[in-house]
Amino acid sequence: MGAVRVAVLISMAVALLCGHAARAAPQPASGEGDWTMPSKDYAATRYSTLAGINAQNAGSLHPVWTFSTGVLGGHEGQPLVVGDTMYVVTPWPNVLYAFDLTREGYPLRWKYRPEVSANALGVACCDSVNRGAFFADGKIIYNLLDGHTVAVDARTGREVWKTQIADVGNGETATMAPLVVHDRVIVGAAGGEFGIYGWVKGLELSTGRIAWSARNMGPDAEMSVRAETFKPPYEHGADLGRESWGNDSWRTGGAPVWGWMSYDPQLDLVYYGTGNPSPYNAEQRPGDNRWSSSVLARHPGDGTLVWAYQFTPHDNWDYDATGAMVLADLTIGGQSVKALVHFDKNGFAYTLDRATGRLLVAQPFAPVNWAESVDLSNGRPVLNPGKQTGASRGNVKDICPSLEGGVSPASPPAYSPRTHLFYTSTSNMCMDYAARPAKHLKGVPFVGVNAPYSAGPGGYLGSFMAWDAATGKKVWENKEPFPNWSGALVTAGDVVFYGTLDGWFHSADARTGRVLSKFKVGSGVIGNPMTYRGPDGRQYVAVYAGFGGDWALIAGDTRSDDPADIRAPADPVKDIARYTSQGGMVWIFGL
Amino acid sequence: MIAPLSASECRERFWRLLWTGPLLAGILLSCGQPRSSDSEAASAAPPAVAYETHVVAGDTPPPGGSLRNPHNGDAGVARGGAMLFNAMNCDGCHGPDGTGWVGPNLGDGRWRYGGSDAEVFNSIYYGRPHGMPAFGGTLGIEGVWTLVTYLRSLTPPSNIPTESWQN
Repeated sequence: MGAVRVAVLISMAVALLCGHAARAAPQPASGEGDWTMPSKDYAATRYSTLAGINAQNAGSLHPVWTFSTGVLGGHEGQPLVVGDTMYVVTPWPNVLYAFDLTREGYPLRWKYRPEVSANALGVACCDSVNRGAFFADGKIIYNLLDGHTVAVDARTGREVWKTQIADVGNGETATMAPLVVHDRVIVGAAGGEFGIYGWVKGLELSTGRIAWSARNMGPDAEMSVRAETFKPPYEHGADLGRESWGNDSWRTGGAPVWGWMSYDPQLDLVYYGTGNPSPYNAEQRPGDNRWSSSVLARHPGDGTLVWAYQFTPHDNWDYDATGAMVLADLTIGGQSVKALVHFDKNGFAYTLDRATGRLLVAQPFAPVNWAESVDLSNGRPVLNPGKQTGASRGNVKDICPSLEGGVSPASPPAYSPRTHLFYTSTSNMCMDYAARPAKHLKGVPFVGVNAPYSAGPGGYLGSFMAWDAATGKKVWENKEPFPNWSGALVTAGDVVFYGTLDGWFHSADARTGRVLSKFKVGSGVIGNPMTYRGPDGRQYVAVYAGFGGDWALIAGDTRSDDPADIRAPADPVKDIARYTSQGGMVWIFGL
Repeated sequence: MIAPLSASECRERFWRLLWTGPLLAGILLSCGQPRSSDSEAASAAPPAVAYETHVVAGDTPPPGGSLRNPHNGDAGVARGGAMLFNAMNCDGCHGPDGTGWVGPNLGDGRWRYGGSDAEVFNSIYYGRPHGMPAFGGTLGIEGVWTLVTYLRSLTPPSNIPTESWQN
């Protein structure tokens, strides 16, 4: 133990020195055994070089520690491990726990309990979730549901700064994990169901001061768009973010930011997806509605928009594009490409050139019928006219995927440079979509739809799959009885990890999908597995259990804490409450 | 039971507060007998609408008035309330037909903050903790009563407390 402590101290000292010496480095130095940012690395691969757990020994994985967070809301996101401390952020009320991994039972070093308004619970569309924290500059940085970003001293737990970034009264909440690049903390707000005017902001890492703010739509001047630097691959002209919204509907057009961010240090570009346009009745917002349901690439220093690509123009199915943008260098048609890969709610998996935003591959990874295909020449979907929605079209039946998506954006994929495969959860549900006019009223939902779900084709509701993004082909798929809602983790041991909605935690062979171990973790898994090397030198895997997120709404019969809220089973997952109920726990597995 | 209010309390605390629009005609505010003196009332804690399902400490209810729904049981008003429920985006939180979404089910016959007319009225008019917005300013009194009439027209399913699974 003493030697380990000395080694940790030395590595911390080295990290400190390196941090000062290499000012150009965009992230604080960290060991391969750490997990210091939400998606493991800036490329958002969720790939770890640790190989202590491999396909040969994963069968003996077992739980070595658990901890109840005391919170029932849906546990999305993932823990961080920095040195010998694990950090866990809970859903609202957004408690931050710091566990001492050097001592038996991992007792707390401290916990931080921010003041956070309960009013945010009525403005958060889809449960009280939080998608995690980021470690940088000796601080743990994360968002509070009520629209604040906080920085907490990673050693002492003392609050360093707290900045209001969003306005709950205007329908904004903060559920995403921040991304820290150099001296900027990049954050956004949820609120696509409340008609917000979506944005991202860059805060100063040292003080929390808001350095820049940029809208995701509206006039160029408000989007940090300049003609000389903004080069979208398929569109041209000024004020694209305003001219593509009839009736000035961009003012309440949504396009929130609540998913994952990635960063390419060579191009100095931050990538993030925007959510759906508001309201769900698309006839109130004629036009393409740029840049909702899109990916945007900005310089983190001042927010300058460099390119944008819209996955779902005039989104009339709630196909948010807030899922992860994974950066990988792929070989496509014999050419090496700096690619960006994205599994969209709309059911297509996209491979883009991340320097230009130009589309390279787009193939469905889940059952899709709203569009026939995506035209690679202009980047636009080839629409199925029978599946377009709007108040004047009445109840449009059997649209796939459902508005829960071919995959939830809250369930990020992983990429292994060893197998060259992407790994993702999927959801196989369809929907009817009856839109109606919606009235915008500040601070309350701005939706205008009734969209019940049904099981998708094929007799299963979800899966976990491996995907070749160079060709747009599925490599293997493990079908699940329920929509799969966890993130993915893959390691140099060629093991992939994922949880299921009914509460199983799986390890599987990354090359074949063969399940190597499974354990019932007590509540449905909607969080993301992560891995780290403990102070004892061994590899561990951690994941949250804690059913919720959209499922707290859809499958409300999984709730047991409120005698005044009793619900019928959800369609089409009628018996999910037989297998899980709410309740947040941290699980750690080892050999 | 309706707690007694002084005449001035009724006038000052309720009628003036709620008499905010032209739609008030149907409101019935029930007041008890005037108390011994208005000055005594003025020095006491301000009365509020009585919460009928609360436990009463010492079996001594605080002074308070009770609101009665002028449209109680009116099926036509209930239908209007169903339309208003969607028009005001209530379904955005409470789900289609109030069956529950991010907000609780309103059709299960159970109420977090009490299910009397007055309590449901107050939940909508003034809002509640943990996210229920205050709609009184936007909807007005008549609008809130229309919603209350709709919500109270919902019939809870008979098998509410038990969910069972057969192989």
